[in-house]
Amino acid sequence: MVDMTQLLQSLVNGVGVGLIYGLVGIGFCVIYNASGIVNFAQGVFVMLGGMVCHTLLTRLGLPIYLAAILTIPIVALSGILIEIAVVRPMWNRGAALFAIILATLATQLMIERITILTLGDQPRSFDEFTSGGPLKIGDIAIGYQIFWILGCGALMVGLLWLFFTRTTAGRALRACSQNREAAALLGIPVSRMLMLSFALSAALGAVAGILVTPTQVTAYNVGTPFGVNGFIAAIIGGFGSAAGALAGGVLLGVLQAVAIVMFGAGFKNVAALSVLLLVLFIFPAGIFAGLQGGKAH
Amino acid sequence: MAAETTPLLEAQDLSAFYGRVHALKPTSLTVGEGELVTVLGPNGAGKTTMLRAMTRLTPASGRIFFKGRDITALATHDRARAGIIMVQEGRGLFGQMTVHENLTLGAYTMDASETVEERIASVFTLFPRLKERYEQIASSLSGGEQQMLAIGRALMAKPKLLMLDEPSLGLAPRVASEILETLGQLNRQGLGILLVEQKAPLALRLAKRVYILSLGGIVAELPANEIKSHHDLSRYYLH
Repeated sequence: MVDMTQLLQSLVNGVGVGLIYGLVGIGFCVIYNASGIVNFAQGVFVMLGGMVCHTLLTRLGLPIYLAAILTIPIVALSGILIEIAVVRPMWNRGAALFAIILATLATQLMIERITILTLGDQPRSFDEFTSGGPLKIGDIAIGYQIFWILGCGALMVGLLWLFFTRTTAGRALRACSQNREAAALLGIPVSRMLMLSFALSAALGAVAGILVTPTQVTAYNVGTPFGVNGFIAAIIGGFGSAAGALAGGVLLGVLQAVAIVMFGAGFKNVAALSVLLLVLFIFPAGIFAGLQGGKAH
Repeated sequence: MAAETTPLLEAQDLSAFYGRVHALKPTSLTVGEGELVTVLGPNGAGKTTMLRAMTRLTPASGRIFFKGRDITALATHDRARAGIIMVQEGRGLFGQMTVHENLTLGAYTMDASETVEERIASVFTLFPRLKERYEQIASSLSGGEQQMLAIGRALMAKPKLLMLDEPSLGLAPRVASEILETLGQLNRQGLGILLVEQKAPLALRLAKRVYILSLGGIVAELPANEIKSHHDLSRYYLH
């Protein structure tokens, strides 16, 4: 018999981690929309978010808010470097998309190795942004960090919406996602937009990494599970749809949490992959596109 | 025959391949300042490839000069910044964006001398129907309205040369005629236009010169008003 309190507690935790998956999923969508590339180094930005923030906290002794704010542009810069050093040379030579995608996977492995060499292989964490807590509602304990994740997640989605609908660069990025040739014919530098998409995507990953690290640990190898789950979230949401990816992430996080409570921790990934297969079987274009009867936007 | 006006655009020996297919054989062409030049040719003649080569959407050998400047090495977006704007066959709209957003993106290269809204107002003067569709998603417009939007968006960039790939394709004759008349009006205001069409009596009435493209190469260049005296050409292109 499943303990209802335990189940509700897991649901709360599932929403928190699901929002992180959603942010990673949005990162996938931003690059995919601008270029058609699925960046398998996406998870590495989450890892770098946690690692860089931890390094700024411990080695430079910065306060958490300053360390967090500085981490975002630093990780965004890593996204730009990946675009310049790995993606652009292949893109400019007309390499097949699958080759570029494989190159991003190789990049993830390389960055993980570099992280081991420079920062070590030991897991690390840092304190929650707000001390005290948790907040108790009945028997359910809600850590304050969940509120940070909810608030920052909502803020990121809001800022992204403003960026894509209210700024010239955001509109240009959307234009590239819909018709790259037409965008170039209007004077939009498509390759620069690709770089911008990597920077944005990396920044999103960094925010996810900064937010999630206090609730668990970060290490050189956390990028892969976050990348895989973010990828699944994006697929569930109809690859390319930011809102869909966020909702897909929450759905995935909640289902994983429920699976752990009901069947044990070993079923976490089984649940994720089963949901993915089920969604693809019923809604091949993603659950939200399927519900709308077409492609998700 | 050389253009009477100073060449706005000069393409020299443009040549392009699709795999092993020589889609555009060495082709030279000029468009003078404020001139409207038409390129005619049947399906598969290489008209679209020629325009794509000029904008560098398709890699090509040869050289291109714009206002006397060698722009061969410039990327597509830099050629647009230089003043060459192309309206693609199929219109190339951002279908999930509104009319307003499409027009705004047309002004991506604009400087600060004029506001986007001022330019949009001038496009609406030219195509009043777009004003009624201001917040409508581009893909929901009719074919004629989409073509108006595509041209209006191109005009937002204040081009010096407007290149159009079969703007009348798929449109009702009355709408096609309306759009081509607008192009004539723009040309009379001084805009250089390179108009690619399959069969276009109206385009020939507007044009000063015409190039005939066939099997990937230019086979004739003549003043548009002389086409009637060429029995074969007039039979194919005017009827």
